[in-house]
Amino acid sequence: MAWLEGSTLGHVMRESGVWTYGCVNLVHILGVSTLFGSVLILDLRLLGLWRNIALVAISKPTVRVAATGFIIAAISGPCLLATKATEYVGNPFLYIKFSAIGLGILNVIVLSTLSAWKQHKTRELSAREQSRLAVSGGISLACWLTAISAGRMIGYW
Amino acid sequence: MHSRLSLCIRFSILAASLAALPASAHHGWAGNSDDEFELTGTVERGVSLAGPHATMQLRADGKVWDLTLAPPARTQRAGLKEGIIPVGATVTIHGHRNRDANRLEVKTERVIWNGRTFNVYPDRK
Repeated sequence: MAWLEGSTLGHVMRESGVWTYGCVNLVHILGVSTLFGSVLILDLRLLGLWRNIALVAISKPTVRVAATGFIIAAISGPCLLATKATEYVGNPFLYIKFSAIGLGILNVIVLSTLSAWKQHKTRELSAREQSRLAVSGGISLACWLTAISAGRMIGYW
Repeated sequence: MHSRLSLCIRFSILAASLAALPASAHHGWAGNSDDEFELTGTVERGVSLAGPHATMQLRADGKVWDLTLAPPARTQRAGLKEGIIPVGATVTIHGHRNRDANRLEVKTERVIWNGRTFNVYPDRK
């Protein structure tokens, strides 16, 4: 954390004007909301809502938009952290947040290896395959909700 | 259709209640005592206008206090820019100290130095 605070990134964040933090914070929130908004749609579909819409019709746009949101959040986040990194040492919400993000990413990796996920692009899924994906959707929702909630609470610790 | 609509409403309520949670704490004063607090000491570390809140450090009775000022732009508007008050200068600050007695932190409303008052929270008494 001391290294991060003393890095060029930390210096730039602290010394480039009084609106810098606010603007980067805005970008971070846009990234997070983009990620979560699209993840929510996909996860609810995996959990069984809107069955009359083909999964692939939902997965294609939401995965792309979610990935874009994640990249935006993952770039802006460390900038915010670097501003006063040492202040966050011992902040439990930070550790909860990063653990949840880690699990969320792990869940995406696992999902992408599931045959049901690979097959949904080309054919209808069986009830069993659908319930397998529903588990992933539920885990995903729990991970990202935890990450966002803990992230928001960092400033209140 | 009816059940979908009610689900939508339920999610809206959930989202709204999640969004409302933080408003009561941070940037608010819930973590700080309601009692007015005044402290005089020497500047240990000068004003920093880095986000999310401007900060400075004060040394009083051999202890170093962390002062949390207003957000950077607001602190600057109050005239309290970086480098104005030199390190080592004697200042008096007014605000609310952390509820946790072990934390030497004051959410600071006013900084008085050399006859000048920097009122970073003019809407608070």
